[in-house]
Amino acid sequence: METIAGSRCPDCGWVVAPPARICPRHPVEMTPAEISGYGSVLSYTTLTVVPEGFKPPLHIAVVELPGGARIFCHGRQTRQLRIGRRVAVEQVDGIFYFASLGIADRVSLFWKRRGAAPERTRDAAKSAVKRFFSVYKNGGTTPAAENSEEKKKG
Amino acid sequence: MRDVWIAAAAMTRFGRRSESLEDLMADAALEALREADRPPDGLVVTAMDPEEFVGEGNFASHIGTYIGLSHVPGLRVETATSSGAAALYAGLALVASGFHNHVLVVGGEKMTHVSTPRVSEIISRVIDPHERSYGATMPALAGMVARAALAKGLFTEMDMARVAVKNHAHGARNPYAHFQQPVTLEEVMSSRLIADPLRLQHCCPISDGAAAVLLTSDPTGLKLAGMGQGSDYLAIRYRSSLTGFRATQDAAKAAFKMAGFGPERVQVAEIHDAFAPFEILALEDTGLFPPGKATRAMQNGELTLEGRLPVNPSGGLNARGHALAATGLAQVVELVWQLTGRAVGRQVKATVGLAHSIGGMATNNWVTLVEQVA
Repeated sequence: METIAGSRCPDCGWVVAPPARICPRHPVEMTPAEISGYGSVLSYTTLTVVPEGFKPPLHIAVVELPGGARIFCHGRQTRQLRIGRRVAVEQVDGIFYFASLGIADRVSLFWKRRGAAPERTRDAAKSAVKRFFSVYKNGGTTPAAENSEEKKKG
Repeated sequence: MRDVWIAAAAMTRFGRRSESLEDLMADAALEALREADRPPDGLVVTAMDPEEFVGEGNFASHIGTYIGLSHVPGLRVETATSSGAAALYAGLALVASGFHNHVLVVGGEKMTHVSTPRVSEIISRVIDPHERSYGATMPALAGMVARAALAKGLFTEMDMARVAVKNHAHGARNPYAHFQQPVTLEEVMSSRLIADPLRLQHCCPISDGAAAVLLTSDPTGLKLAGMGQGSDYLAIRYRSSLTGFRATQDAAKAAFKMAGFGPERVQVAEIHDAFAPFEILALEDTGLFPPGKATRAMQNGELTLEGRLPVNPSGGLNARGHALAATGLAQVVELVWQLTGRAVGRQVKATVGLAHSIGGMATNNWVTLVEQVA
């Protein structure tokens, strides 16, 4: 599973993402923190009227990551999304994306999990994210996705 | 701290206006000055973003000069979409402290000459930069709040539509309203989706307009009884709850504490329904209804002009319109007219009124209490 960069308050322990210099709760400098890239959906919307630079429909979700940090994410669609649903989150080219693990995805994950190493599961989830991302972007693998692959390899 | 009284209140009709921002603000200001019959010794000016919308800066001096008050010390106040309420608060502080005796507070916004995408972009700057970089607009954040509230069972999509129907029915009786036509439940529920589950008719319009209030230390019978501010994180992802606004809760507590009475005395309310479901959330956040009771009250017709607690007799932001920095003041103008029997066509019976204003996505909110003292 992907990790997401955040920051932790040395005083109150609060974790936020993306990293903030100063804890939003009090004027204390935060320290870097790594957060696992999955979480549960707090809320979501689909914008049909979008700001400049975006194409409708624009799917946005707020996802709560392990440890309590919440992030904004884009997604391919919100049809099967529900508040509380677990999603995988991946950062590509500085943008977070959520992938709703549909019934087919979850069944296949479960099936794979029964006989395979944990790595296989993580890879499956990761590939689901990748697949979703390339479809979302423009129907094929994008330079951004390729770049992020490069970074991970290197 | 001295008691602060309202000597005059005035506003322009909200809507698509051909006049300049300066003229709209002058119309409201001059009417308030005539009614107050007291030369102001302090001036508080507000417009949320005159730099972007009309290209003017140094705005307190600009308006002070335009309305013939360049000799009066003036300042500009801004807290996003609650700027009108913030300006009133500054005026209250100036009079209560004894710094000034008669303060003219005037706010306005002029946006309809600018393209809608551009207006949305300018207004979106009140949102946290990270959230904005994902395309989050005010309707987007409001849509997420509404979605979370629907999931919690606080109200239904039908209830959201009912708010818009009620407020349009009120606006239809207000000659100062942007929209003076009623809408039906079907029209609201079939209007186009903006930010799922919010539809066009749930959202307030882009309006031009201005409003002015003259505050004084002389007892006028109309007391600015209480006022409170509440704040919250700019980023909604930092908040513990999406379905209630801490900024409203804290503002209400402070306002009632200052007034020395509780929500049970409020008989009319102007609520910041920039998005229809916000009215229901605010009725509970302000303490006007216990948690979970506002929706039923609305369904029972208790919030109509004829109801137990008329809410948004002006039509609210939904129908009266939302001229940003004019709105917080226009709410107080409506309360003044309601408490003094001048709300022609929509008059309710009340001696205590509450106004609630939201700045940004509830980052800087205000609750104001106005009382008619015998």
